Amino acid sequence: MPLLTDELKSWIGREVTYPAREELGRASIRYFALAVGDDNPLYTDDAYAQAAGHPSVIAPPTLVVETCQYAHRPPGEDGYIGHEWLLPVTGCRLIRAGNEYEFFRPVLPTDRVSVTWRLAEIVERPSSRGGTQLFVTSVATCVDQHGERLAVNRETIVLQPLDPT
Amino acid sequence: MTPPRTLTAAALSVGQRVPPLDRALTAVSLAAYGGATWDWHRLHYDPGYARALRLPGPVVDGQMFGALLAEALMDWLGPRAFIRRLGFRMKGMVFAGETVRCDGEVTGIHPAADHDVVALVQRITVGDRVAAEATAEVRLPR
Repeated sequence: MPLLTDELKSWIGREVTYPAREELGRASIRYFALAVGDDNPLYTDDAYAQAAGHPSVIAPPTLVVETCQYAHRPPGEDGYIGHEWLLPVTGCRLIRAGNEYEFFRPVLPTDRVSVTWRLAEIVERPSSRGGTQLFVTSVATCVDQHGERLAVNRETIVLQPLDPT
Repeated sequence: MTPPRTLTAAALSVGQRVPPLDRALTAVSLAAYGGATWDWHRLHYDPGYARALRLPGPVVDGQMFGALLAEALMDWLGPRAFIRRLGFRMKGMVFAGETVRCDGEVTGIHPAADHDVVALVQRITVGDRVAAEATAEVRLPR
């Protein structure tokens, strides 16, 4: 029986927008840099960032495509509070296949980021573990308070059956 | 304050290596990254949850590799460099307690109207195991 059912196909093209709640903020930027272990002063030192031509500190490049905070959901059983499609698929584990980021300008602490997720594609492919698995590709577009594009994240997740048949 | 110089395309050549970046990804790193990105998924910090999925331990969020690949590029190229594109494909999972290395090399240098674009390939490895393969495009001022 195929994993990619007609019901699942009907999810392709769905879209959801999570609007900005507040400015990104300096604390978020510093927290991210500290958590990664990235000590580049561009993210913490205004004078340094200004000398490099920026209006203030900027966000580390990939912070803007980390969009869990915008969904503003209570944690599910697995603790997750970010966007998810909750596709009608059971008995699978979720594995990241890859991401393609495109960035349009440096992100500032004053930016109010909104994100729109679109379910772009679901493809069923053979798995090296036997049987098949689903590749789910979603596109997240991040914009600022003026609707200017900041970044696009094309993300592919694999839904891998725990017990391949 | 004078920031370090940003490299220009004239200082780069195809085949040139990105200075490697090594980072130990401890249980603390994974919890901190999950907090900083509002990603509270148990997969990244709960050993019991990982075991139930038949995994040896909490899994490093693949997007953390994106952050490290970007860090390696910005550290090397300088504060006026702008990463236009960064893409990575996961080749294997990395677990709490492992140390990753990011390295890479320049694959192309392309002049644009008022800037140059440097194309690169990058890799994340744990010892001789490849965890991710990446490509990047960085805009450099003239």
